[in-house]
Parts: sequence; C-alpha cells; structure tokens
Amino acid sequence: MESDDMRDFAAEARRFLDAHAAKAADRAAVTWGEGDDSMAYFSSLPPEEEAEQVRRARAWQRTRHENGFGWITGPPEYGGRGLTPVHDLLYDSIESEYDVPDTGVLGVVGLGMIGPTILAHAQPALRERWLPAMYRGDAIACQLFSEPGAGSDLAAVATRAVREGDDWVLNGQKVWTSVAQHSQIGLALTRTDPDAPKHRGITAFLVPMDAPGVEVRPLRQMTGGADFNEVFLTDVRIPDDHRLGEVDGGWTVALTTLMNERNTVGSEGAGPVAAALSPDHLSALMRATWTWDDRALRGRLAELLVDAMATGYLNDRAQRTLRAGIAPGPERSVAKLMYGQNLTRAAHFVSECLGPRIIADTGRWGMYSWSELLLATPALRILGGTEEIMKNILAERVLGLPKEARA
Amino acid sequence: MSADESGLKELRSSVREFLEAKSSEEAVRKLLESEPRFDPDVWAQAADQLRLPALAIPEEYGGDGFGPVELGVVLEEMGRALFCAPFFATVVLAVQALLATGDREACARHLPGIAAGRTTATLAVAEETGSWDPALISARAIPDGDGGWRISGHKSFVIDGTTADLILVVARTVAGPTFFAVDRTAPGVAAEAMRTLDATRAMARLTFDAVPATVLGAEGAGGRIMADVLDIASVGLAAEQSGGARRCLEMSAEYARTRYQFGRPIGSFQAVKHKCADMLVQVELAEAASREAALLAAEGSAAFPVASAVAHASCSKAYMFAAMESIQVHGGIGFTWEHPAHLYFRRAKSSQLLFGGPAVYHERLLDRLGI
Ligand SMILES: Cc1cc2nc3c(=O)[nH]c(=O)nc-3n(C[C@H](O)[C@H](O)[C@H](O)COP(=O)(O)OP(=O)(O)OC[C@H]3O[C@@H](n4cnc5c(N)ncnc54)[C@H](O)[C@@H]3O)c2cc1C
Repeated sequence: MESDDMRDFAAEARRFLDAHAAKAADRAAVTWGEGDDSMAYFSSLPPEEEAEQVRRARAWQRTRHENGFGWITGPPEYGGRGLTPVHDLLYDSIESEYDVPDTGVLGVVGLGMIGPTILAHAQPALRERWLPAMYRGDAIACQLFSEPGAGSDLAAVATRAVREGDDWVLNGQKVWTSVAQHSQIGLALTRTDPDAPKHRGITAFLVPMDAPGVEVRPLRQMTGGADFNEVFLTDVRIPDDHRLGEVDGGWTVALTTLMNERNTVGSEGAGPVAAALSPDHLSALMRATWTWDDRALRGRLAELLVDAMATGYLNDRAQRTLRAGIAPGPERSVAKLMYGQNLTRAAHFVSECLGPRIIADTGRWGMYSWSELLLATPALRILGGTEEIMKNILAERVLGLPKEARA
Repeated sequence: MSADESGLKELRSSVREFLEAKSSEEAVRKLLESEPRFDPDVWAQAADQLRLPALAIPEEYGGDGFGPVELGVVLEEMGRALFCAPFFATVVLAVQALLATGDREACARHLPGIAAGRTTATLAVAEETGSWDPALISARAIPDGDGGWRISGHKSFVIDGTTADLILVVARTVAGPTFFAVDRTAPGVAAEAMRTLDATRAMARLTFDAVPATVLGAEGAGGRIMADVLDIASVGLAAEQSGGARRCLEMSAEYARTRYQFGRPIGSFQAVKHKCADMLVQVELAEAASREAALLAAEGSAAFPVASAVAHASCSKAYMFAAMESIQVHGGIGFTWEHPAHLYFRRAKSSQLLFGGPAVYHERLLDRLGI
C-alpha cells in the first residue's frame, strides 16, 4: 500500500538517522543480566542528571528539526514539513529502530498536545513566537489544566483571570503539572465568568513560565521523583494577545488539547517499559526466578500476553486505518485503557515471580528494578483521563448510551 | 485471490442479508429442536447463491480460492446470526485438514464436491476426554492387507457427526497419529447424537468397527498436521466468536438505551454504562486479534501461529464475558428461554471449551512463543 512518496520519505528518514544515530540493538531480545535493567516509567534522577537529560532531549529535537523531521505534520510557515500524520507515524516507527535520546520531556505534552492547540487557536503573533521555538527544541510547554478542585471535572477550574485594560490578571493554583519545572510556557485554563454555566465561563491563556507571579513547586510523587509540580499563579499579568480562542470560549480550546492527549498517551513506545510486556523478557525472568514451570503463573502469563498482544494488534490496525486515510474508531481510547491495565498486571505478575526480591534489593540484576514500574502503574490508570472517565467516554460516544446526570 | 476493502464489505453485506433472511432467531430456534440441526434447503442456497462452501477452497479444486480473511468475514456473520449449518465442520475443520495433509490426490477427490455444496464433511479427533491432542487418542488403524486400512475405536464431540458425508479421522498406527478419510456410509460406522450445551452446534459420538479408510498425507504425520489445523481452525472459530460477542454488545447497548428504571434509561447508570464499556473493550480487542491473525495467515507470515493462539484466547474470553454481561444488562428477561441471550451464552461457553479450554490454549500460546 506504500506509495513512492512514502518510500522516498522512509529512505530520507533512514539516511538522516544513519548519519546521526546508531542502530538500536534488537529490543525484544534479552540477555539476562546484561545491559541496563531500569524499569522506570518516571524519572527519579538527581537534578544534575535530569538537567543533562533535558539538554540531550533539546539537542536531539534541534537535530531533527534542522533535518526536516522536527514537526512532520506542521505547516511550513512555522517550520513544519507540511506532511501527513501517516508520514509522522512512519518516521516514528523508523526512529524506533535507532538509539536516540528520549524526548518525552518536550514531546508528550508540549509537541503532542499544546503545539496543535496553539496552532489551532492562538493569535498569529503567538504562533510565530512559540511554535518554531517549541519544535526546534528551544521551548518546553506544559499543560496547566488540573487544579486541586478540578481533575476529572476539568470544567470546574477556579483559577481566576480578570481583565485589566489590555492585560489579564491570573490568580489560582494548578496541580499535577508535568514538566512545569522545565517549561518556558504553559497553557492555562482559567475562569473568566463565574456566573456563566461552568463550561461557558472559561478562557485559555498561554502563560510564560518566567512571568512574575508564576511559582513552580516540585510535587513529589509516589515513585519518589518529582516529574510533576504545583504551579501557583499570583497576580500574573498576561497580555490579551496571549489568549487562545474567544473570551469565555476556552472549553473549545481545552477539547483540542484533550483530543490530542488521547492520541499521545497510550502508544506503547519502545522505552524501557517495553520489556514489561515482552514475552522473551518475562520468560527469562521466570527462569531466573525458578518459577518457569509454575502452572498457575504460566496461566497468568498467558492471560497477560493475550491482552498485551491483542492491544498491539489493535494499535497496528488503528495505524493501518490511519495510513489508508480513514479516521480510526475507538481503538486509541481502548488501547490507552488497556495500556494502563496491561502494565499494571505485568508489574503484579512479575512481583509474584520475584516474591520478596521486589520488596528489598538483593543487588541482583533485573529484580528490584521492577519496583520502579510497580510504583508507576497506579499513575497509568489516572493520567490523561482516569479509567472511569475513559469508560464513560466509550459508553457515551461509541455506544451511544445516555449521558450521566451532571451538575 | 484476495478481496480488497470494498470487496470484503460487499461480501459481508451479502452474507448478512442472506442470514437475516434465512437464519432469523425464529429459524434458529426451530432448528435447534429438529434433526438434522440444519436446513438442507438453506444450505443448498448458501452454496448455489453465495458459493459459501467454495469460498476458501483453492481454484484448482473447484473453489473460489479466497483466503482466511474472507473466511473470517463470513464466520463473523455466521457467529452473529448463530447460523446452524455444516459450514464450520465442513469448511473450517475438514477442508483445512485436507489441505494441511498436503495430499493432493485426496484434495482432488473430495474438495470439488465440497465446493459445489454436494458433500459435507467433518473432523473426528477428540475422544472421551474431549482433548484435541493427537497424542492422547486411542482409535487405531491397521492395514487391511490390500493397501487399505481399517479403523476401530470411538470418537466424541464430532461436529455434525450424524450428517457429514465425509469423516476425517485421526487414528493411531504403528507410525503414530495419522489422518484418514472415511465414508460415512462405510460398513461399521455408527453415529449417535450427543446432547449438547449449545444446541445450535450438533455433535455426535461415532463408533468405528473395522471401518475401511484411506490414509491422508504421510502415515504418522498426524501430530504436525493437527498443529496446523488447530492454528487455522482456531482463527476461524475466533472470527465466529468475535461476531457473536459483537452481537451481544449491540443487543446490550440497545437495551441500555431504551429500558427505563427509576425514571431514566438504565444506560445512564454508571454501573451499567461501565459494564457496556468493558464489553466494548473486550470486543474491540477480540476483533483486532482475530482479524490480524487471519491477515497473517493470508500472508503466510511466520508470526501467524502466535497470532492464532492469541486470537483464540482473546476471542474466547471476550465472547464469554459479553455473553454473561449481556444477560446481566437485560435483567430477568435475559434469563428467559424466549430471549436469545442464552443462545449466545451457550455458544460462547461451548466455543471457549471446544478445543480444550483456557488451560490448554494458554499453554499452546506459550509453546508457540517458545516459553
Ligand atoms: C503522573 C500524572 C501526570 C499528570 N500530568 C498532568 C499535567 O501535565 N497537566 C494537567 O493538567 N494534569 C495532569 N495530571 C492530572 C490528571 O489529569 C488528573 O489527575 C486526572 O484527570 C484525575 O483527576 P483528579 O486527580 O482530580 O481525580 P478526581 O477527578 O478527583 O477523581 C478521583 C476518582 O474519582 C473518579 N471519578 C471522578 N469523576 C468521575 C465520574 N464522573 N465517574 C466515575 N468516576 C469518577 C475518578 O475516576 C477517580 O477514580 C497528571 C496526573 C498524573 C497522575
């Protein structure tokens, strides 16, 4: 089904990657006891190492950008390549064959979710100022949506924005903000009309994170590290040209971000956690823990692999559909839901194989390191929309069941 | 040969239209209390009008030469409609077994009749325990001295065993498990219908008393052939299961939208909503697994045996789950004889266990993965 155009694009991507990166070792293959055994989903690095990682991510994004792969689907006037989502997918799958720096700090929220929102809703000056910078790796963006009182019920945001001449003054508190500590800009949802029905009184702003009154406080998460933050906004002045969409029309803007969030979260990348669902890795672990012929555990392993592999097939099909130019159905939402479930079950399966060796570190390779994944799994059922919210969406939008009564 | 997207769509809609006309719930209910468990006229029409038995038979043997993907589409529709016909036993089990033996002479002898809808067939492997593992069978075949063979023993769980014209039997010889062809009118064959959990799928116990038989493929190759047959038959079964599961989901969602309690549609209660969402997740996974496996089979991919095992397990689980939850969503009416929910429940359970059940297919998956 691949056209000449696609073949040329793939060849160009390979030439670029060959020139700038090394081919990755076969990720499915595992030699027990060799290599990095990290199973971290979230980082818990010391600050200097984390800063170094961010630096590498930026540098790799810049290299991509300089070679035409920084923003494959973006419009050329902002430094994009003007190609299709299919080209994007193709590039991703080719890049996954190489060892390249992890660009998650820029990519997941900023380039995956905030970038498309700025493109769709920001005023021209703002687009020119930030889009090229983001896709060149200079600017990192965060999503200032959740608040202590507004998580699943995002339209309940209480952070106030009050107009003063050509400016707006923001006051309030955001929470769980991933990568805010590294960000130059944040997309904030604020309440501009407290008297309107809650979805109608919201306005979206792009907040420069160095604006006076923005304070980022790291929030330690249960894995021990601090990937997310509290963000306090105290009398933060933002010019009106930093507004996205209409005054009181911020909900539409939020929907763009959320839609892109569902597309971004849940693709089972090739990161270290890929090992958690790799049959070869799991069977090597069973050998190493002498649980190889435990019938009950084997049954559970099979069940786990069935779901993980079926989720993979579902993703493959969604990609093929996209490639054929047809908008995929509910596959991405189902895959996101299953991603959290599969990794959670994998972590608990492994912990049964390991027994006490996941509760205290014996120093053995590939054992206690699983505690990193185990402790990350609860987040995977919450971030980007909880399981419960995803099920509501599937039932209402796909099956057409009646909406819940809402306040 | 293979159909493109629009060809598949067309195939699906013509099969669905046919089944809506010929395999209504009323028709299914009538058949499950009659003998045989299918309507020979409808089967003849399926052959003449839609050429369904010919679908997946190679052109050189008088078929239309389509592959597992097209077969999957047809089976999904049949699963939805609980179509009572000798299709699964003939086209999925027997045809695939004949092809898997690599015995061209036998294929040339039997397949054209099957393609034309004149011959129905089945595969007799399991015995008292229901296991499809050829290592566990005890039916025996001995040479009759004239180059032929004679089979003795019992087979159980033989689908359409009282009606199939051609019976493929796996029996033990000194060389090991071997495939044989037996004519059901041959002297010494006795068939007795079994009572079945799922009355839409007829099963029989067969007794062979020194029945003349012809070897298929190589003597003693039954183990290897059976593995191939199970791979492809599981994908066929999986397609049928995913179609049935999808139907259970649709019935439930429809009911949840329209049934009122406490002054609101029950689908607005989150407990019911989430039940339906859970069913959707299972059905989507199952459908992806079964379709992907069919695609890999069509491509002759090395990844096929694993995908087949995944499809079988995933679809078995999804169908059982959807069939159970569908009754729950329907409440009391779902537990009545008059409601179709139990027909799907019965089919789901019997399909889940047909080739041995979860413990067996889980080990099969691990085996295919080299674990
Ligand atoms: C690691 C991580 C990173 C995150 N990063 C960001 C970020 O960068 N930016 C950002 O804005 N947010 C971020 N979030 C926040 C995330 O989006 C919210 O945590 C999530 O939407 C849930 O909101 P909540 O925490 O307020 O829980 P609540 O909404 O209070 O939910 C609590 C429980 O109630 C259930 N519940 C709530 N409403 C319903 C309902 N209608 N039906 C059924 N059950 C319901 C939930 O499913 C959950 O189980 C992050 C969260 C995590 C864990």
